[in-house]
Amino acid sequence: MADLDRLQQDLGFVRRTVTREGPHSPAATYFLWSVLVLAGFALNDLRPMWVGYYWFTAGILGGVISAYLGVRDQRRRGEIDAAVGLQWTLHWAAFMGAVLLLVVMAVRGRIGWDAFGPMVLLLLALTYFHAGLYLSAPLRWIGLLAAAGYVVVLTVPSYPWTIVGVMLASACGAAGVGEWRSRVAA
Amino acid sequence: MSQPDHEAAVAAGLDGLDDLLEHRSRLAACLLLSRADHLSFSRLKQLLNETDGNLGAQLRKLEDAGYVSAKKAFQDRRPVTWYRLTAKGRAALLSHVDALRRLVGR
Repeated sequence: MADLDRLQQDLGFVRRTVTREGPHSPAATYFLWSVLVLAGFALNDLRPMWVGYYWFTAGILGGVISAYLGVRDQRRRGEIDAAVGLQWTLHWAAFMGAVLLLVVMAVRGRIGWDAFGPMVLLLLALTYFHAGLYLSAPLRWIGLLAAAGYVVVLTVPSYPWTIVGVMLASACGAAGVGEWRSRVAA
Repeated sequence: MSQPDHEAAVAAGLDGLDDLLEHRSRLAACLLLSRADHLSFSRLKQLLNETDGNLGAQLRKLEDAGYVSAKKAFQDRRPVTWYRLTAKGRAALLSHVDALRRLVGR
């Protein structure tokens, strides 16, 4: 049974080779959103009238830049997989779609604008958490932090959104540093 | 099943394997390529832990058999070769993996 033995050894080698970690976002993407989130969340406390314009612009631009960074990262790593890009695109497009539907509800007076922000934050927490489960593991912690942020904005009287922005920006920054370190080590 | 029957079954199973994919690195390369659109030579080398010469030789055999296709490009002014699993390669891989499952399941 020398052939079978050799076969099983070969299969062990193959299993070790093809078993690999799940997809990751490049460090630059985490740093980008760290800056965008910090600015955007602080605006809620400092200049609430600008928030809608900011996120409409930063959200779209941030998404386009993130997509570019993802494609560039795939090429640099030598591994091109359009399916992964499509997963990310659909994931965040679903979030933006849900936010737009919330905007419609607020415009029609079904929910107050004071409730709109916390609802979007809760939706963001869920979206990040699911991304962490199925796309990139560090995001699940950002999702949990965003859920904690939901409690903060409902309970803290002074600069709650800035506090949440600092929390989330720090988490994104830490995830970016972790990703950068793992790439350097590899 | 008696010993002679078992040995005959194993021999039949071994016959179902693809000669080209019996080499562990070629099999692993095809499996990796089946999970991505394209992989570069250097990425394959990193994942398979092979030398340039050995990996190049294995990929050339797969290319000659029509299992993978290669495309040369430039990235940051450096030449990069991108590999992709062909339809023929994917069919051969599936057939080989099925034969392996039947064999190892015994």
